[in-house]
Amino acid sequence: MTDKNTNQVEHELKHALSRQEAPPDFADKMLARVGEQHSMSTVMSHSRWKVFTRPLIRWAAITATAASLAIGGIHYRNVQRERSKGEAAKQQLMLALRIAGSKLQLAKARVNEINATQAANR
Amino acid sequence: MRKSETLASAERTLADHSPDTRTGFAALVRLHQSMVFSIALHFLADRPAAEELAQDVFLQLHANLPNLKSEDHVKFWLRKVTAHRCIDHKRRRKLPQVSIEEIAEPSAPTRSVDPLLQRKLRQVIASLPEKPRLVMILRYQEDMEPEEIAEALAMPVATVRSHLQRSLALLREKVSRSIGEVTI
Repeated sequence: MTDKNTNQVEHELKHALSRQEAPPDFADKMLARVGEQHSMSTVMSHSRWKVFTRPLIRWAAITATAASLAIGGIHYRNVQRERSKGEAAKQQLMLALRIAGSKLQLAKARVNEINATQAANR
Repeated sequence: MRKSETLASAERTLADHSPDTRTGFAALVRLHQSMVFSIALHFLADRPAAEELAQDVFLQLHANLPNLKSEDHVKFWLRKVTAHRCIDHKRRRKLPQVSIEEIAEPSAPTRSVDPLLQRKLRQVIASLPEKPRLVMILRYQEDMEPEEIAEALAMPVATVRSHLQRSLALLREKVSRSIGEVTI
């Protein structure tokens, strides 16, 4: 292919891929969407915080927060209490197991002793 | 609004960092809408989808306006974001291909052009893989240099050149096969 042909292809390509006009109402639609989005975000941010300016709502929010903190504190104390009870039970069980183990050792030693005496008498 | 006034209004918007200035943002939209819309249209070959994508790009521009410093920066940003959104759109939705014939013919030809060849070229471009297609659109629609395309698409310049060479060779082959070597 010659340079002339290459240039011709490129020229045709530029033409085939030339810019097309956007629809006539494109910018208006765009601005409407921006406006919608802006007003939606404004309403959301206003409604999110403005509600707390009313005294009743403010006190309700404070009460709810205080109640949540109190309930959380009580729950935490209960959990701690249960945990310490569990620890004590565990310690008691360990002690019982140690005692039972030493008793078993004693019984085993006694049995061995009796067996040895009997063998010597025979 | 004349183009110089539009540009001045757009530049004031950028200088003020005020995306809420309706007229300034409208000026920016009007200044760049055909560029953004055409990249999307040539890539997607689907007019409604191209319009929707272009609107999403401008919404993103509105949110990012305070970070953009100049008119050139806006142009670069728009090309880059449009290109990436085109690829995302195609990957997300495997859209049924709309006939490329639906794309309007350019309104004011500068030199005599062959309508049959134009249609064939658009068909071949639409059949290219995503990245080479974008490279060709940015090169021949936007007249961008390979270095600029590489920067916008975050790919090496050598890859851009290779996409251009291969796509041109493919175009020549396909077009000459269907229309005849004599035409081009």
